[in-house]
Amino acid sequence: MTVRKSSSEHWEEAEFRAVFLEHYSRVLGILIRLLGDRSCAEEMANDAFWRLYRQPALQVDGNVGGWLYRTATNLGIDALRASGRRRQYEEAAGGARDQAKISSPLEVLLRAEKCNRVRAVLSLIKPAQAQLLILRSSGLSYKELADVLSVKMTSIGTLLNRAEEEFRNRYLALHANEEEL
Amino acid sequence: MTCIDDGNLRRHFDGELAGAQLAEVTAHLASCADCLARSEKLGTARAQTEELLATLVPAADNVVINSATAYAQFADQFAADRKPKNWINRLLAPRWRPAWGLAVVALMVASLVSLNPVRSWAQRVLAMLRVQKIQVVTIDPNTLMSSSEPDSRPYKLFNQFVADNVVVTMDPGKPDIVSNLASAAQLTGYPIRVIGSLGTPRSVEVNGETAFQMTINRDRVTTLLDEIGRTDIHIPESANGALIAVHIPKIAISMYGDCPVRHGDVTSNSQSRAEALAERKAERMADAKDTNCTYLIQAPSPTVSVPPDLNMSEIAEAALELVGMNPAEARSFCQTVDWFSTLVVPIPRNSSSYDTVTVDGVEGTLITETLPQGDRYSLLWIKNGVIHSLAGHGNASDALSLAASLR
Repeated sequence: MTVRKSSSEHWEEAEFRAVFLEHYSRVLGILIRLLGDRSCAEEMANDAFWRLYRQPALQVDGNVGGWLYRTATNLGIDALRASGRRRQYEEAAGGARDQAKISSPLEVLLRAEKCNRVRAVLSLIKPAQAQLLILRSSGLSYKELADVLSVKMTSIGTLLNRAEEEFRNRYLALHANEEEL
Repeated sequence: MTCIDDGNLRRHFDGELAGAQLAEVTAHLASCADCLARSEKLGTARAQTEELLATLVPAADNVVINSATAYAQFADQFAADRKPKNWINRLLAPRWRPAWGLAVVALMVASLVSLNPVRSWAQRVLAMLRVQKIQVVTIDPNTLMSSSEPDSRPYKLFNQFVADNVVVTMDPGKPDIVSNLASAAQLTGYPIRVIGSLGTPRSVEVNGETAFQMTINRDRVTTLLDEIGRTDIHIPESANGALIAVHIPKIAISMYGDCPVRHGDVTSNSQSRAEALAERKAERMADAKDTNCTYLIQAPSPTVSVPPDLNMSEIAEAALELVGMNPAEARSFCQTVDWFSTLVVPIPRNSSSYDTVTVDGVEGTLITETLPQGDRYSLLWIKNGVIHSLAGHGNASDALSLAASLR
């Protein structure tokens, strides 16, 4: 996580570019995991960076990376929850659509289904827990997670345990018949 | 040691313990079957969750990410909303129009240009334009580029185009506002004149030097015109590749009476479109209320440098069509103007009129505008190479009597 020393009134072009280059690929990777669609993820990553650009004070007093990952995952989880609601309506109307192509190999189809289930469960649990899980599975360290969530590093283990338990319980409740954990 | 809580067991699993803490937990696990069993259970649960979440890992073709390319695209996409937009908005704001006619036209010209890397442009610049006289043109305020609402599509396209293509070589920064004439004169480097009958100004705003340049890329201009639905405007082929440089010296704006604080001058990069709109609205409302406010603007002539073979008349014709003049009018007007010495002031046709008057010992132009809250005037003249603009609420005789007391 980088703390920049510069003006609090506007971003210096070079500073902003450096922050972008440092974090973009990770931010995009996280959003691709969450959304499963690269172009949506790119759009959302740009949105997160644009919001960062409008927060020049973070250059001076902020933990830029923490703010950025928090904002990006919040955007992604919001979108996931919104699409989860949409999916519920579609399924209720008998219009459930399968993201995988029928002609794809069976493994691809199964994997796509599993992805959809995982995303659906992430959209159902508490956003903060979904955020923690997706960031951890994207490789953030305890220190980085503590920066993102503004909690003590020593609390991360407990929070991870709780989030995982909630995730697994929800997953089992919804999909116990489809597969075994 | 007491039994280890789940949080610390988890930290142990994730390799987040070190030193004495790690040694203590490892030793305890070796001797406590209960904790070891919980640890194994936690480990299994973690592995299961990780396995599920791992299904979200992007496919190989989604893994390649080029951050530098992404940054270039990001900068392109948002360029219109970044710094140049505010800078350009400031120059295009209605309050500047009287004094910045040439700059406005130059910016319209800027809309017709594009940037190549800055080359040895100075060698190519042979002709210099300096303002010696003023000429007014009337334009239709309802056309695309005249309405200048920050959320309209043409305006956004225009802003983006300018942001992409105009290189600011000297940023004016935030204006200095001072309360005495001596400080203002020190900042500007020239004496500040006073409207005798109004006493001393309440404050003087000094705007920094500004310079920008652009190279005309005919293809890009044509694309822009297509996008804003003005395929009728013709850009001369001879203009392609021409480099235009504009330099605007320091400007002093003396404010008399109850002049509103102009938030629009405080450049904010974090401004959203909604905020920009609200700001614009507030400025318009302030304009409507500041009937007790008079401005005296002193602006040494801007310098516009262009290649000697550039046909300014044709460029100006296109620019004037863009701001709302019909093609026949634009052509006949442009044929009468000496573009190397004339400050062209576009004014809205429906609500404004203008007249030639004698002011400060020279010929001036008095523009009057009829507004619901009363008449507003803008008196323009050039003396000793300095453009003067006296603006306030009232009629022609109010303007002339104030100008007569100038010292």
